[in-house]
Amino acid sequence: MIRFAEVVVGEGGGIRCARCHPDGAVVSYRDAEEVRAEVSAVCGLWDTPPGPNITFTGAEPFGHPALPSLIASAVEAGCVRVCLDTDAVACTSPQNAGGSLMAGVRHLRWIVLGGTPGVHDALTSRPGALDASVAGVRSFRSIAKDQDIDISVTAVIPVCRHNVHDLPAAVSVALGVEADAVHLRVEDGGLDLGSAIPWLVAACDTGVVNGVWVEVEGVPFCLLPGYDLHLADAVRVRPGTKQTACASCALDPVCAGAPASASTDQLALLVPPGSAPSLAASVMRSRREAVR
Amino acid sequence: MANAPLRCVMLALNSPGYRSLALGYLRAYAQADRRLAGRVAFETLDLDTEVDPWWVAWRVLGMDADVLAISVTCWNARNVYEVCRLVAAVRPECAIVLGGPEVGPAAEEVLATHPHVSAVVRGEGEITFADLLAELSTSGKPWRVDGLTLRKGDEIVSTPDRALVANLDDLPSPYLTGVMVPEDGGAYLETFRGCPHRCAYCFEGKGYGRIRSFSDARIAAEIDLVATAPGVRTFSFIDPVFNLTDKRLEMLADAMAPHVARGIRLHTIEVDIERIDAEAAALLRVAGVASVETGPQTIGVGALKACHRPFDAERFTAGIAALRAAGISCECDLIVGLPGDDAYDFLAGLRFVLRRDPGKLQSSTLHVLPGTELWERAAELGIEFDREPPHEVIATSGVGFRDLRRAEVLASALQSVYRARI
Repeated sequence: MIRFAEVVVGEGGGIRCARCHPDGAVVSYRDAEEVRAEVSAVCGLWDTPPGPNITFTGAEPFGHPALPSLIASAVEAGCVRVCLDTDAVACTSPQNAGGSLMAGVRHLRWIVLGGTPGVHDALTSRPGALDASVAGVRSFRSIAKDQDIDISVTAVIPVCRHNVHDLPAAVSVALGVEADAVHLRVEDGGLDLGSAIPWLVAACDTGVVNGVWVEVEGVPFCLLPGYDLHLADAVRVRPGTKQTACASCALDPVCAGAPASASTDQLALLVPPGSAPSLAASVMRSRREAVR
Repeated sequence: MANAPLRCVMLALNSPGYRSLALGYLRAYAQADRRLAGRVAFETLDLDTEVDPWWVAWRVLGMDADVLAISVTCWNARNVYEVCRLVAAVRPECAIVLGGPEVGPAAEEVLATHPHVSAVVRGEGEITFADLLAELSTSGKPWRVDGLTLRKGDEIVSTPDRALVANLDDLPSPYLTGVMVPEDGGAYLETFRGCPHRCAYCFEGKGYGRIRSFSDARIAAEIDLVATAPGVRTFSFIDPVFNLTDKRLEMLADAMAPHVARGIRLHTIEVDIERIDAEAAALLRVAGVASVETGPQTIGVGALKACHRPFDAERFTAGIAALRAAGISCECDLIVGLPGDDAYDFLAGLRFVLRRDPGKLQSSTLHVLPGTELWERAAELGIEFDREPPHEVIATSGVGFRDLRRAEVLASALQSVYRARI
């Protein structure tokens, strides 16, 4: 419901499963001037409140040599919320955590692959990574609290066949850093969603009973009956996630996990406005059939 | 030798940082009552809800109270009952008198289920409480006091309802009498009683039926006193609708203006936002209003109808825009669990509010309060709720238990994300 525009600062080097992506990517960063221009353009075109809101994503933003000036450009362009997609390890340095806060960062999308070192460290091929990552988020939050700055942390967990069984533990780790929400992003096209569902459900329940919202992206709504509210608040299209789990249905062109009662407004994002009502009806019909 | 005065301890368990205006009114009225002069000694104990009931009881018992009077809301009721139980166990001769929105509308039930409670004051309490003290201090007959529910032998009896105070100026001001000392951020003024709306979930009107106002002169005098109190920079009003009428808003703005020039500000006043245009927003600005609180509570058609709430999306949006243009922060409230809403209606409400970017979003779960229409019609409307305070909704015919809890958590996360900004 609160949209963040993603501005890519570079490629490679981000947190991702080393088993799904065995080829180590080379890290490269975009030219700062180019990024600043994009930030300015995004903010200038922003027409849907609340915002403008920007997430610096792609490669680890703390690795960008001009990160302070990128954040400053977002602030100057009128950005209301600045977010970093990060593993937060850099925030173990108070200079980094405090500096980014002072510059205007209010949101972290904290990327974590598992809730135990045995999973996170193994999948990132970085011994000690989970502990350092957790310490980074805690440092960021601690400094924000000292400075009386409201921040928000969302744990983003890219879900694949190698960490799906660790999702409840990952949610627990998010609880441990006082995350406001957890975002489970199923992005492994080879994941057997049928067997993944119990883990996703357990992760959702772990979050709710502990007061942390868990949002699931990339799962067809018909596979999570009763968990509609967790399926993101807007229809998201993530190519490659649907075909492995679903039979052919009327929603193939658009469905990647729409909520059960996707409104015509939401669906209008995907089709011409005039077609939204019929698509909404189709969503409901398909869901009933799937449940049956 | 003259009899020792009746020792009356007045207790409130407030949200942290606040003091009970209700107790202030009760004490100001009782202290001005000539019948009680020299007969009753008052002590006010304003504590926070976070204080453990056993330590509250410790404080109360240290005062050797003959009468313990407690203001009860849904938020503090559980702790209040615990305090009552402890005090009654140690000092059974102490009369325990409760009042307030949590107990007044359900007085007989309260007495039936809490044997250590002596009496409940129903409705507007100032005169009733003073009359009760007059009877107790003279070994009289409290069942002659209107507006009370009390024990008479083994029976629970309710005396006739008490007529509302015709002229609110007859009630001494807690501030002007010195009963309450204004504190920065924690002082509240009341300029009228009643509410123009009849929302089915709300007890704001307290069954008063009509709106009665303090005089302009009384209101101005209270504003002058609070606004010039040492250390006070901000205060607020508990009125359910600050912009009740245009004329009234002008009066309040005029009264506030000299103090606003000195930097005094009003925070978190409640407004009917659909009646705020550029002119009204300008008056609010003159009145020093820094932040307001408003609905929509829901935008679901079914819930709006069930709760008798009007809602005009265009006027609401215009109201927020006018406030923003005037530099006034707006907190929009939503309630999850209203009858007629499903979970997606609630999400639609969140989406509606966020799109208007009011400044602050506040979501809360429905509490089915005694004395409200929802309390009376819960079964008919498909509401399951906790009969124990704070009476939170458990499930409705539109939203099951689990989705209600999910909606609460989702809203909480969204509030955090929305609040975190540069």
